[in-house]
Amino acid sequence: MYNCEHCSIGFSEKDVVFDEIDGQQKVFCCHGCRGIYRLVHDAGLDSFYSKRTGWKPGPADEIAVTPDVFIEHIKETDRQAQIDINIGGIRCASCIWLIEKYIGRLDNVISVNVNYATHRARIIWNNEKISIDELLKKIASIGYCPRPYTSSVYESQIKEEKKDLLIRFGTASFLSMQLMLYTVALYAGFFHGMEPFYRFAFQVIAWIIATPIMFYSGYPFIRGAIYSIRSKTLSMDVLIFLGSFSAYAYSVAIIFSGSETQEVYFDTSAMIITLILLGRYIEAGAKGKAIGAISSLISLQPSDAMLIKEKGQRPVQTSVASLNPGDVIEVIPGDRIPVDGVVIEGSSEIDESMLTGESKPAAKKQGINVFTGTMNINGRLLIKVIKTGRDTVLAAIVKVVEDAQSRKAHIQTVADRVVAWFVPFIFFVALGSFVFWFYHKGDVSVALMNSVSVLVIACPCALGLATPLATLISSGLMSSSGILVKGGDILENMARADFIYFDKTGTLTKGEYSLTDITGYGIPEYELHRLAASVERGSEHAIGKALNKGIKEDELYDVADFKAHPGLGVSGIIKGDAVIMGNKTFLISHGVKFTDAQTNDFNCLSAGGNTVVGLALAGRLQGWFSIADSLRDESEQVVRELKDRGYKVGLITGDNRIVASEIARKAGIEIIKAEVMPVEKANEIRRIKESGSRVIMIGDGINDAPALIEADAGVAMGSATDIAMNSADAVLMGNNLQLLVKMLTRSKKTLSIIKQNLFWAFSYNFIAIPLAVSGKMHPVAAALFMVISSLIVVGNSLRLYKDK
Amino acid sequence: MWTTFFLIAIGLVLGIGAWLLFMWAVKSRQYEDPERPKYRMLEDDDEDNR
Repeated sequence: MYNCEHCSIGFSEKDVVFDEIDGQQKVFCCHGCRGIYRLVHDAGLDSFYSKRTGWKPGPADEIAVTPDVFIEHIKETDRQAQIDINIGGIRCASCIWLIEKYIGRLDNVISVNVNYATHRARIIWNNEKISIDELLKKIASIGYCPRPYTSSVYESQIKEEKKDLLIRFGTASFLSMQLMLYTVALYAGFFHGMEPFYRFAFQVIAWIIATPIMFYSGYPFIRGAIYSIRSKTLSMDVLIFLGSFSAYAYSVAIIFSGSETQEVYFDTSAMIITLILLGRYIEAGAKGKAIGAISSLISLQPSDAMLIKEKGQRPVQTSVASLNPGDVIEVIPGDRIPVDGVVIEGSSEIDESMLTGESKPAAKKQGINVFTGTMNINGRLLIKVIKTGRDTVLAAIVKVVEDAQSRKAHIQTVADRVVAWFVPFIFFVALGSFVFWFYHKGDVSVALMNSVSVLVIACPCALGLATPLATLISSGLMSSSGILVKGGDILENMARADFIYFDKTGTLTKGEYSLTDITGYGIPEYELHRLAASVERGSEHAIGKALNKGIKEDELYDVADFKAHPGLGVSGIIKGDAVIMGNKTFLISHGVKFTDAQTNDFNCLSAGGNTVVGLALAGRLQGWFSIADSLRDESEQVVRELKDRGYKVGLITGDNRIVASEIARKAGIEIIKAEVMPVEKANEIRRIKESGSRVIMIGDGINDAPALIEADAGVAMGSATDIAMNSADAVLMGNNLQLLVKMLTRSKKTLSIIKQNLFWAFSYNFIAIPLAVSGKMHPVAAALFMVISSLIVVGNSLRLYKDK
Repeated sequence: MWTTFFLIAIGLVLGIGAWLLFMWAVKSRQYEDPERPKYRMLEDDDEDNR
């Protein structure tokens, strides 16, 4: 009996395959295993065989699935059940073919449909004969991973809208084709004469066919017009409604008047509706595409986790929904992490590109946070659950991006305001041209057609579309490269900014402090460190974390009445004595006095660019701590690039002047504001705003929050505290300052696309309206031009997808 | 005259037929995945085609 070197399966002597590798004889169960062993060996990756753990010999395991999470998604009708699921592991069209054939061939499965683009399957089956459990197992048994499908509300809205538009547009085009048959007959009659009976009959038939187009296909416009009139604002829908329905109503009136000389214009009214529906359908498609990218993020979250109930036990599969903070789960290589949590055992590299846009995997070890949806590449990890479901970073990103789309850019509110007076203006122009042509020609139909042209061609659809689509595409693209922008208005502010203020700690610098020096006055250094670590334990600030290194948890003192003073320090009570720890200003404000020697020590320690904090016990200074922080690798280059582009760059920090100027010198920044309190930071930014600049503030701490809010655009680093991220308008998830440059470039590009769109939309109206007023344009041509104008705006916005 | 209206009736019926076909196609989700059909022709149908 041998065991195969590659797959570890036991087999009998007569099947053995020998091979000599590096002078050693190895046994294999087949030539396949031998080939792979050689391949791995030749690539120098032999350590694979010693590294593989938690693995059993034999064919790959079936992916276990838990049906509980799927059950709520089943829709049941009598005897039939239907479910939409995401299927993981699909690589090409043959995978889809396999799933459809294999599952479709099972008894009692009625239909299976897998969408190629979204990898989403819809299965309809007989619920009484076969359970969802079995179906899922079957899918898993051929190597694919079923996951419950939860669509975002926004995405399903767009999908609904698109389908609705398609049905309305399709109906309108079929009817319009029919309508044209009779209209052409009537045209012919106009030129060559027609028996009055036929003429009347054809007009009535045209009326019958046009009516569903107007009231069914045209319903969105009717509804829009009614809403807008009710809210006393005139929207674009009002123009379309007036344009098409006046032609319709006029034609109906002609039929009833029994006139033998006047023509009907059902074709005009129907064509206007049909063409504009087509335009809206294409718009909805472009929007759906932009949204889809964001929604696909949601599906990255696995639904199952391997829960370890007690240390040392084998993990059990559970649904993520049933996990609680504090639970411990196991994540093996190749799996996505199902929760936000912290690593408590093991180390691995993790692909976080879906969150940060950074393609290089991040190394994770004990004590480091990991995030939902990221991919564990090469090591087994035990993770303590911190957040699940809606509270995770992934869920927050999806929400922010979705919300961003509803926040309007300032430039759009301008466009909206223009539209608000533009519509009544056009209304009067149309009325004016009707009156003019009526007196000029004495013919109602000519006058009516000209004014309908004006109404239709002036429809400011392109104007309304110019901004939102561009913002939508940009925020989607940015989120995929690790930049989270919370609204369209921010993109615009960003593009217009000319002054950039950096915070120091954690923004220009790495924010990884390390304690370099302790100077104690009449107290052992270790004891001083212990006190400092105890009082700083509750602090979120990087300095606090640095001070906690080197002191064991069980050696810490109990701290009562802990208080963090952002930008200053911390305070608390240890063994009945008040402990004050923080920068010099903070100590002075608490009445701590320094001797000359102590002040001298402070200056010496600060001179090297290190941050120096002091600890006072019962009002007496006990010692100084010198803490070093190094510049981010990219800081200098980013500052240089920003300066080259004409931005004014400044540094603003609560730290002392010596440290600040040292860091600023290294980064190449000339404008320095040091020893600034959080509230003063905001005042400083307001002051610069009042001088006419637009300011971007970049920071990461609680102390930056007021400034982030005050700035035209506040940007938080990916490593920032929650408060900073919430106060900021944008977050650099990738935690790299290079993203700032990228973000500025992108927002400039977006703003220029928006401007081009608006320019086009305005100039189009500027040229087209006079043409329509002068009677040079037929209403159908007007509708066509209007749609083309909207499509040009759509196409121009789609250009943002280029040069990602 | 009779023939004209007869033809009109046929025209309308055909038109409505085409419209119903379209509605059926939309309702049975044929417009939702424009990517897949181009691969379908490459798939061989095997023996027991149910």
